[in-house]
Order: sequence, then C-alpha cells, then structure tokens
Amino acid sequence: MTTHEMNERELVSALADGQLQGDDIARALALIERSEEARAYWHACHLVGDVLRAQELAADAARDAAFVARLRQRLQAEAPQPNLVTAIELVAVGADSERVEGQKNFKDPVANDASLRWKLVAGFASLAAVVAVGWQLVSQDGTAQGGAQLAQAGGEPAQVMLRDPRLDQLLAAHQQFGGTSALQMPAGFLRNATFERPAR
Amino acid sequence: MTPPASPQADGSDALLVERTLAGDARAYELLVLKYQRRIQRLISRMVRDSDLVEDIAQETFIRAYRALHQFRGDAQFYTWLYRIAVNTAKKFLLELKRDPLVTEAARQPDGDEDETSRPGNEPTTDETPESVLAANEIAQAVNAAMEALPEDLRQAVTLREIEGLSYEEIATVMDCPIGTVRSRIFRAREAISARVRPLLAHQSGKRW
Repeated sequence: MTTHEMNERELVSALADGQLQGDDIARALALIERSEEARAYWHACHLVGDVLRAQELAADAARDAAFVARLRQRLQAEAPQPNLVTAIELVAVGADSERVEGQKNFKDPVANDASLRWKLVAGFASLAAVVAVGWQLVSQDGTAQGGAQLAQAGGEPAQVMLRDPRLDQLLAAHQQFGGTSALQMPAGFLRNATFERPAR
Repeated sequence: MTPPASPQADGSDALLVERTLAGDARAYELLVLKYQRRIQRLISRMVRDSDLVEDIAQETFIRAYRALHQFRGDAQFYTWLYRIAVNTAKKFLLELKRDPLVTEAARQPDGDEDETSRPGNEPTTDETPESVLAANEIAQAVNAAMEALPEDLRQAVTLREIEGLSYEEIATVMDCPIGTVRSRIFRAREAISARVRPLLAHQSGKRW
C-alpha cells in the first residue's frame, strides 16, 4: 500500500508514530488542523499507547480535552514573545548540574536583569558627571570674571594665605604709622609687612 | 532526576516543534495531547494534590511553550519537557513552602521502568474512586480489544507501542513490507480506539 492509498485515519496513525515523510506529513497535519475527528484520533492513538505501557495513565483520560482547552485559552493570552523565558529560569530550582546546563542555554541577558539595571544607572550617573564638569570648564574659558576666579590668576597654583589676628591688631593700633596698604586684602606681599613711616 | 527514554521517541516531535515555532499553535496542542498524561503522572509522584498537579502540568506546558525556541533537538522533546516539569514542580513547592513527597522510584529511576511506573500499588491522592473506576474501564477496554485482535495485528501494535520498534524494525521482525506494518498497526488502533472512545465520550460528557 502506498501512502496515497492510506485513508485519513491511517495517515494520522502513521504520523503518531513519526513514520511519515515528505508531503504526507503536511497532509496529515493539515488534516488534523481542519478535522476534529482526526484530532480525536490522534489523541486516541497516544492514549492507547500510554495505556498499553502503563494502565494508570488511563486515569482522568476523559479530562484530557478539558486540559487542552484550558491550556489553549492560556496560550491565546500569551503574547508572541518566546524570548521572555530563558533556560536559566527553567532550571533555577534544579540541582547544580541542571543549573549549569541551563546556563549553557543562556544566550542574552534579559531586559529586567538586576545587574543590568545597576550598570545602566551607574552609566547614566557617570555621563551626567562628565557633562556637568565639561560644561563648567567650557563656561570658564571665555567668561571667567570676578572674585571667584582670583585663586587662578596667572595660571599659577593658588596660595593659601593665613591672616594673623595679632598682626591685624598691631597694625590697627599703629595705623597712624602705617600706609593704607597695611589693611588691604591679604596678598603675597603682606607677609613682609613693613612699618611705613609718614612721608618726610 | 534522570528522565527515562520514551518508547515513543520519533521525528514527529521535532516536526511539531518546528511548526509551533513557525506560529502554528495547534501543532503544540498535538504535543500536549501526546505527553500530558505522562507529565501529569510524573508530577503526581512529586505532589499529592490533584488540583496542584493539573496546575503544575499547565504551567509546565506554558513554560515549555515560551522557551520552545531554546529546544535545539539535541535531546528528545520529552526529555526536555520532563526536566521542565520537574523544575516547575519544585518551584511550586518552594513557593508554597511545602515539602515534596517524592517516591523512591521517582528519585532513582532505573532503566527498566519509566516515569509511569510506581512501586507496588501505592495510591496517590489524585486517585478518586471515580477516576480509578474510569481508568479501570478504559484499561479493561484496551485489554479486551487487544485480546480480540488477530495475532498479526496484536504483534505489530505490541512491537510498536511496548517495544518501541520502528516500522522498519517491525517489518524485519515480522518479515513483511513496511506498508503492511503500517496497515496492521492502524487496524489494531482502530479496533482498540473503537472501544475506548465511547468511554471517553461518556466520562467527559462531551467530545472534542
């Protein structure tokens, strides 16, 4: 008997055994697709095989259709995004060896990976810091004015000037002997403050 | 836990997986129809709660569907599905903070028995009197149909379903063409399912 002489149920029977080839496979699948009868026969073929191997598999066989109907509803609610689940999740609660095997199947990090989130936050923070510093430098180049820039005068390193309060008191007490420069803002030369005599 | 080899291993699973990935959800339902009983039996050996068994089986098939693109065909589909079922059951039990009740055979399967076997006649709580009765009815119908088969049909379907031989191997054993093997297995199934399907229709109260 050639495959073309097979009736529809025989085609399904052979498909259930994985013994079809070429166009017959497509024919059988198309048949099951459009025929509930062929679908029920597919179920019967596998149920008979299961019961022959282990009779307890007949338990609740009458609920198989309800099981599939319930699953169908859930599958219809599934968005076509098979990449949402990785092998790692599937084996996460398994034994160590199973976990290692699962990691082999892991290809791409998932979008909600916790470590990825931290990397993203750290990246943005670094970028923001660089932009802020860069903006400050650019704005100083052409428009640097005012007392805030005093420390950078001449491009020399800033000098720390400590003012001695006792020296201030002394200079104030003898102001009549000193020039106006004595009470000016501290500057490099103040360290060598001299006692200026009134002009003769 | 090592999954046992499936006597039904064949190329049709890979084909159905391929069609599912191409967008044919009905192809996936054929895989479900094929394996749901074995998966539920496997889970029922880990979880003594009939409602939970079905929920976990549902979740197993959903998770397998989502991850189907990762099935590379290196292992049999059932082996892959088996691991998902075991891990899904463990995850459920962890979430529920319940201890799995795993039988000795479930933890240490040997090569001579598959996951459908149980030591002795140890009952599981998902076996209600009704389900036991229904299972017995179906099993008796199958056995009666087998006994009523002509010898060549019975031998062909036995070699296929129980021994797991291919059509080619059966043809060699029975010394007949492959087409004859296919026809004998088909006729045997016709005879058996003719007795079983009315029971299923009666028990479920409806058809497909």
